Amino acid sequence: MKHMNAALLALATAVPAMSAPVELASDVFVEREHKRADGTVATVLEAPKLVVPGDQLVFVVRYKNVGTQPASNFIVTNPIPRAVAFSGTMDGTEVVSVDGGKSWGVMAQLKVVKPDGSFRQALPADVTHLKWNMNQTLAAGSAGKLVFRGVVR
Amino acid sequence: MLRTQTSRPSLGNALLRLRCASALAVVAATSAFGSTAHAAGTLAGTNIENIATASYDAGAGPVDIQSNTAIILVDELLDVTVVSSNPGDVGTTNGATNAVLTYQVTNNGNGPEVFTLTPNVANSGDDFDPALSQVVLDTNNNGVYDAGLDTTYVAGTNDPLLTPDQSINVFVLTNIPATQANGDRANVSLVAAANTGTGTPGTSFAGAGEGGGNAVVGTSGADGEASGFLRVDAASVVLAKSAVVADPFGGTTAVPGSTITYTIVATISGAGSLNNLAINDPIPTGTTYVPASLTLEGAAQTDAVDADAGNFNGTRVSVSLGNVPAGQTRTVTFQVTIQ
Repeated sequence: MKHMNAALLALATAVPAMSAPVELASDVFVEREHKRADGTVATVLEAPKLVVPGDQLVFVVRYKNVGTQPASNFIVTNPIPRAVAFSGTMDGTEVVSVDGGKSWGVMAQLKVVKPDGSFRQALPADVTHLKWNMNQTLAAGSAGKLVFRGVVR
Repeated sequence: MLRTQTSRPSLGNALLRLRCASALAVVAATSAFGSTAHAAGTLAGTNIENIATASYDAGAGPVDIQSNTAIILVDELLDVTVVSSNPGDVGTTNGATNAVLTYQVTNNGNGPEVFTLTPNVANSGDDFDPALSQVVLDTNNNGVYDAGLDTTYVAGTNDPLLTPDQSINVFVLTNIPATQANGDRANVSLVAAANTGTGTPGTSFAGAGEGGGNAVVGTSGADGEASGFLRVDAASVVLAKSAVVADPFGGTTAVPGSTITYTIVATISGAGSLNNLAINDPIPTGTTYVPASLTLEGAAQTDAVDADAGNFNGTRVSVSLGNVPAGQTRTVTFQVTIQ
């Protein structure tokens, strides 16, 4: 029913509102350390040609408003793949969930139920979902990216 | 190459359920990672799929969008460890056959892997090299070598297949030379190598991994080695014989009619025990055995061949000591008179 309403509404409104004017793209890289000739270590992002447990992954979510209208209430959600242990984000402005997206908060406020029924402080590896609530309106043509890291379990 | 990946519900469906079902059951944190609870890590051949979703309002009500799916295939890590299951030296004896040393081989990789086992009996830095008898797989997995039950290993024929985290006990059976000194040690090692390949950590084998990915050599080099040690327990005996003379006049002069009391102390040293040890001593020329004077550990022995340990057959005394452990002594005495 919801979809049908949206379709009817689309017939009656202007063209720009029909197509999704915001694009979202997901990408993943492997973070590796390479020793330079002078002994220093360079951290580089590589295409994930070879990935084994313990490797550091960097997930990049790019967004862009390709429409002509500003987008408000812009919220990005990213479930953490099961085989990945979340380790952190680049900007730290996210809220996280450790219960499959049921409840949300900053890491320090979240607790995890232990098998014996008691609680412990949530750890990054407990995170099941990430969410960024953008408090500003995404102007037409503007773009950005969200970056988070994880380790292959 | 051996396993097909089990399908799982798509993330998109899961998201839809998360978003629209306010009565959705709570996902307990402890069960969220149940499928990846391997010490070896995520199974080779697993696809890691990432999808981001977003919602916004561009003036015509909320809009939900979804990103593409970024997919990574987890490659196969080749890692194996071998440890000796014998906490210390395993005692054996000269000439022993099929002395058993036990090793545990564990697949620490994230895919099922076949391993080649190679024993080595000729390691340096030890006292002797036993002869390799056979390598045996602990078929009934009880940690104990069961002759006739456990399967003899033949390289290239029944190389063991181990799933991630799985272990197998391996027995290396060797034969001991006949004449090693007490305490001599032998280093017997076992190498397990991944059949897919070995090499320096990071070496990769394109397309050779479980589930169609690559295989990558892990920190172990994809081969493991451990040593077990055999120790020869050899006992030896030293006989000490002493004599005390008592003449008929209360002195200690050796004259006709004097009695000589001989004491023979057998001292067993080394390790293990001496089996069927017997002491025989001829009666010296010019003396006569004093009937029923034979003792063992202070206990009188009859001269006849009977249930007790000692006898006298007319020319010599004989005492059967049986099996005597190292570190013990046995004392035999008998008397003669000077003719």
